Amino acid sequence: MDITHLSSFTAFILSSLGLAFHRTHLVSALLCLEGIILAMYLALATQPIQNQSASLALTPIFMLTFSACEASTGLAILVASTRTHGSDHLHNLNALQC
Amino acid sequence: MDLPLTLNSMMLLTLAISIAPTILPLMSETMKNSPTSITQAVKTSFFMSLIPMTLFLYSGMECISSHWEWKLNTNFKIPLSLKLDQYSLTFFPIALLITWSILQFATWYMTSEPHITKFFSHLLIFLIAMLTLTVANNMFLLFMGWEGVGIMSFLLIGWWHGRAEANTAALQAILYNRIGDIGLILCMAWLASTTNTWELQLPDQTSLIPLLGLILAATGKSAQFGLHPWLPAAMEGPTPVSALLHSSTMVVAGIFLLIRTHPMFHNNQTALTLCLCLGALSTMFAATCALTQNDIKKIIAFSTSSQLGLMMVTIGLNLPQLAFLHISTHAFFKAMLFLCSGSIIHSLNGEQDIRKMGGLQKTLPTTTSCLTIGSLALMGTPFLAGFYSKDTIIESLNTSYLNTWALLLTLLATSFTATYSLRMILLVQTNFTRTPPASPINENNPLITSPLTRLAAGSITVGLLITSFTPPTKTPPMTMPALTKTTAIIISILGIIMALELSKMTQSFIKPKQTPLLNFSSTLGYFNPLMHRLTPTYLLHNGQKVASHLIDLYWYKKIGPEGLAALQAETSKITTTLHSGMIKTYLTSFALSTLIMIMSTH
Repeated sequence: MDITHLSSFTAFILSSLGLAFHRTHLVSALLCLEGIILAMYLALATQPIQNQSASLALTPIFMLTFSACEASTGLAILVASTRTHGSDHLHNLNALQC
Repeated sequence: MDLPLTLNSMMLLTLAISIAPTILPLMSETMKNSPTSITQAVKTSFFMSLIPMTLFLYSGMECISSHWEWKLNTNFKIPLSLKLDQYSLTFFPIALLITWSILQFATWYMTSEPHITKFFSHLLIFLIAMLTLTVANNMFLLFMGWEGVGIMSFLLIGWWHGRAEANTAALQAILYNRIGDIGLILCMAWLASTTNTWELQLPDQTSLIPLLGLILAATGKSAQFGLHPWLPAAMEGPTPVSALLHSSTMVVAGIFLLIRTHPMFHNNQTALTLCLCLGALSTMFAATCALTQNDIKKIIAFSTSSQLGLMMVTIGLNLPQLAFLHISTHAFFKAMLFLCSGSIIHSLNGEQDIRKMGGLQKTLPTTTSCLTIGSLALMGTPFLAGFYSKDTIIESLNTSYLNTWALLLTLLATSFTATYSLRMILLVQTNFTRTPPASPINENNPLITSPLTRLAAGSITVGLLITSFTPPTKTPPMTMPALTKTTAIIISILGIIMALELSKMTQSFIKPKQTPLLNFSSTLGYFNPLMHRLTPTYLLHNGQKVASHLIDLYWYKKIGPEGLAALQAETSKITTTLHSGMIKTYLTSFALSTLIMIMSTH
C-alpha cells in the first residue's frame, strides 16, 4: 500500500476509534467526526490524480457540502445541550430514555 | 259512401271536439272555458262517437290509421297510429257518455268550488289521455296516455291540497303506479329490442319477461293485490274524480293493456295462471275488506277493486272480449254508484259514514232507486247489465280447466259482493234515520237526476245491447249442469240471505266485539301498516347501520386518520422501550462489532 492510502486509512481508523471511545465530552466526538471527514476528503481528492480518471474529480466538493451541514447540525446539538444542561457531558443525552 | 274515410274522419272529429276546450282558450282571449262549455263539448263528442261505433256494428270494419311519424335516424319507426277496432270503437261512446254524465253532475257538486273551471279542465285532460290510451296502436302512444292518466290522477286526488290525507293519498297513488310503470317500460324495452317495433301487432310465442312486465303494469294501475292500497286512499279526491277515474276509466287501463296485448298471452300458460291467481286473490281480498268498511265511498272503492280482480281473472281465462264487456258494463253501474254517493254526501252536509245515514229512501227517492239499481247490477242480477258479463265469467270459470283455489276464491268474493252491497243499501236507505235533523236534503236539481237516470238506463240496457251486437270470438260454454249454470245466482242469493240475517242482529248501537277476523278485515289485511311503516323503517334502519355507522363512521376512520395515528402510537411505544440513552455504550459496541467483523474476514 502506498503512502497516501496508508495515511488516509490510518487517519480514518484513528478518528473513528476516537469517535467510539470518547469519554466525557460531546465536542471530542464532533472533532473526531471532523477528522473522519477530513481523511475521506483527502482520499477522495488524491484518488483521481493517482488513477488518472477525471470523472470523479467533483466528488470531494459534494462531500464538503454535506460535511458542512452535518458539522453545523452537530454544533447545534452541542449548543442546545449546553444551553439546557449547562455542559456538554454525554450522560445528559438521555431524552429518549423511558 | 267511402266507409274507411268516414270512420276515420268521424273518429278524428270526436277526438278534436274533446281536445278543443284545452286549445281554444290559448288561441284567443274571448274564448274562455266554463264548466258548461266543457260539458257541452264532451256531450257533442259523445254523439259524434256514436257514428263510428254504428259503422263498426253494422259493417264490422276496423282500421288502423297512421297519421305522422316521428322520424328518428335509426331503424326504429314510431308512427302516430290509431287503432280503431272493436275495443276502442266501443269504449269511446261509453267513456264519453259516462264523462258527460259525471261532468254534468260535477257542475252541481262542485258549485261552491272557486277553481271549478280548472277542475273541469283537469277532468278533460284526463279524458283525453284515457282516449289516447284506448285508441293507440303502438306502445309509445299508449305509454303517453298511461302516464297522462297517472299524472291527472295525482292532480285530481290531491285537489283539496290543503288536506294532508289528500296529499298522502295522491303521493301513494303516484308511487304505486310508478312501480307498475317499471313493468310497462320493461315490456316496451323487450319489444323494441326483440321485435324492433312498438306496434301492437304482437308476436305469438314470446318469453315470459315481457308478460311479467305487463302483469306488473296491470297490477300497479289496476290495483291488484300487492299494489292495491292506493285505490281506497284515492277516495280523498272529490266524488266526480272517484266516479270518473277510480271506477270507470283509469283503473281499467291496466286490464285494457292486457286485453290489447292479448296475442302475446294466449299461448303462455304460466302468465295466464299468474293472472288468474292474482285476480282471484285481489277480488277476494278486496271483498273481505269491503265487508267492514263504514265509509260509503270506501265500500264502493273496494267494490271496484274486487271487480278489477274479476276482470284479471277473466284475462287469466283467456277471454279478453269478456273482460272488455265487463269493463263496459262495470263502468256504468260503478259511476252511477259513485254519483249516488255524491248526492247523498252533499245532501247530508258532508256525512260519509253509513252508520250515520238511514231512512233515505223516502227523502232521496231518485238517488236511492239508482243506488239499488246499481247494486243489483253489481251483484249480477239476471238481465241487468252486470249479469251479461259477470254471469258469463262465472260460467266460464266453472267450465274451464283451472286452479280450484282461484275458482273458490272468486265464488266466495261474489257472495261477499252481494253481502256488502246489501249492507250498504240497508244501512243507507232503510230503517229509521240516524242523521242529524237539519240536513239540506235536496235532489230536485236536474243536474243530479238526469245523469243518474241516464246511467241507470245504461246499467239496465248496456249488457244486452253490447252482447247482441258483438259476436264472440271464442265459443262461450253453452251446455253445463243446472247447478253450474245457476252458481252465480245461488251464491249471490246466499250472500243476500247472510246479509239479511246479520242485519237483524245489529239493531242496537253496541260496539262490535274485536275478533281476529274483524281486525283483519277492518285494517285491510294489515297490509297498509306493514308495507308503509314496518318495511320502510326496517330498510332505513339497516341502511343507516351499514352506510352511515359502519362504513362512514367506523371503517373510513380506521383506514384513514385514526388508524394511522393508532399505528404510530403503538410503534413509538415499542421503540421507546428499546431506547435507553446510553450513548457511550452504543458507540463502544459499534467499534467492537466492526473490529470483530474485520477480524472474522481475515
